[in-house]
Amino acid sequence: MKLYYFSEMPHHEYPDAEGDKYPSLRLAFPNTFFSPEIAQRNYQRYLDEYDAADQAGFDGLMINEHHSTPSCVNVSANMTAGILARTTRNAKLLILGNILPIQDNPVQMAEQVAMADLISGGRVLSGFVRGVGVESWWANTNPIHNRERFEECHDLIIKCWTTPGPFRWEGKHYHFRHVNPWCLPLQKPHPPIWVPGTASPETAVWAGRMGYTYVPFLVSFEVARELFDFYRQGAAEAGRTVTEDKLGFLICAVTADTKARALEAGRHFVWRMGPTLRGPAEYFSPVGMRSRAASRFALKARSVSLSKMSYEELVESYYIVAGTPDEVVERFARVRRELGIGHLLLEAQESRMDHATTMRSIDLMGKSVIPAMARI
Amino acid sequence: MTPREETIAVGPTRVEVLIGGAGDPLLVLHGAGGNRGWLRWMDAVAERHTIYAPTHPGFGRSDAADWMEGIDDLARFYLWFLDVMGLSRVHLLGHSIGGWTAAEMATMRPDVLDRLVLVAPTGLKPERGEILDIFYYPPEELFPLTVFDATTIPERERLFGRRPTPDEAEIALRNREMTARLTWKPYMFNPRLPHFLPRVTAPTLLLWGREDRIVPVVCGEQYRRLLPNATLRVLERCGHMPLVEQPDRFAELVLDFLRGGPA
Repeated sequence: MKLYYFSEMPHHEYPDAEGDKYPSLRLAFPNTFFSPEIAQRNYQRYLDEYDAADQAGFDGLMINEHHSTPSCVNVSANMTAGILARTTRNAKLLILGNILPIQDNPVQMAEQVAMADLISGGRVLSGFVRGVGVESWWANTNPIHNRERFEECHDLIIKCWTTPGPFRWEGKHYHFRHVNPWCLPLQKPHPPIWVPGTASPETAVWAGRMGYTYVPFLVSFEVARELFDFYRQGAAEAGRTVTEDKLGFLICAVTADTKARALEAGRHFVWRMGPTLRGPAEYFSPVGMRSRAASRFALKARSVSLSKMSYEELVESYYIVAGTPDEVVERFARVRRELGIGHLLLEAQESRMDHATTMRSIDLMGKSVIPAMARI
Repeated sequence: MTPREETIAVGPTRVEVLIGGAGDPLLVLHGAGGNRGWLRWMDAVAERHTIYAPTHPGFGRSDAADWMEGIDDLARFYLWFLDVMGLSRVHLLGHSIGGWTAAEMATMRPDVLDRLVLVAPTGLKPERGEILDIFYYPPEELFPLTVFDATTIPERERLFGRRPTPDEAEIALRNREMTARLTWKPYMFNPRLPHFLPRVTAPTLLLWGREDRIVPVVCGEQYRRLLPNATLRVLERCGHMPLVEQPDRFAELVLDFLRGGPA
């Protein structure tokens, strides 16, 4: 099973009590609590940690993007991919992902991903996401159009990568007179496409139909299996066979020399499960963003909110894995047995988890966990 | 009185319409909350007018119109509706986004318009303040912001007095989705509308609640300046829904105006 290192590049250096005063850390928490001085140090630190993860032997480095939130100040997945394309050597660069519905220029997106693929020597895995509702607010893109724009933006990007230009695109949401990008990906026909999921059956079915790698984020095993069933349904419609290489899963994970230290470090992930996901439903799922089926599924999938679970419950339920390398290997192996996946994505960092702890975890993963998992 | 309910096909799109009363026709266009049925103010006005109160496409049980992108589409739709109904000249009354729709219709076809009543219409960017972002709030938090004092609404029990049934909740969600489809960006206004409003010479009554927390009263001032023949009446102790907050006073003002009173 392949392992991926992921840092959400948080900016948690503010008094928690200040964040608690607002309806949500996303959208509502004022950026007067953003410190350029701290962020400057953090970016260097986070990029160093990515470099270390590459050197430690992680199969991939996952990069994402959010806006208007201290939970993730990586505001451009493609910019980070461009940096890591240059500073890393071996790991795949898993952009998971570009938020397609909020893009106004899919051609530029196709160019940027292609450029990262070229600079990295063909290491890009290009993830496409619909985004949480917060991103629709941030971009002021009508959430009613989220799925339509996701699919049309995807179609245009793929056409940019696979059809010689110049050509014209007159869709419903995107209109371009001259499409002729002078920057095409190294990988042919294009970088592999990945798609995450948390609640939308339609997305899982679509990803299966398209044959893309599908990764549920921070859900229970039971929900992940249901989403994989939707994925298989889509794959079957298209006559595709689903191999474990097409299935992944994302959890939070940290390892340390002792169990006590690992459990202490893992406690930092609770912020990400709770406070950063707190807020009115309208922020995360504005009107029209979800279909009725997805709303019903989300209600069932999140019958117990992550923010209501204790640290112990989060560990018990495998949302967080924290232990010695041996313990971590054992728990990762269990995840693999439960889900039959080929890729395990590890959110492995939080800004209050100090650099030394993060680096030690990366180091131990490289020495013990990655080799062990490669054998499984 | 009891209105009759009809389903009217406008092209391929069928809309539900409440029709009641007798006299010169009055087309009533509802706001983002949807068609709340036959209201108390309508009883009084229907004594002198035939009221046509359709449910917009995408709202209530009317057909979907996912192809629509803005209020100008809804305005063209209702001009077509008038053709279908054989109504060559009407009084037009719209509330909130229905008022915006009415204003757009008036700029497109001033000739079909007798008198125009705009009740707290959206459609213009406020010179001061902002139109409240209704999509930012859960519906239960939005309602108290919509009215000045819910306890004084005569029809409160019938309209708001119980939890919605699953069917009603689905309709409320549908109404909200269609409103988002029509008004998301620019939010609740058309930057081109002010340039066309001077075309509307019909006598126009602008009605606003002094305590409107959804659409600032300053928008009423803007409409009054842009429309050549308009009067602005501001109701005290009233929020965004004069039609239900002060139905008797509202009906009286509308009747006086439609009777030919000064704009």
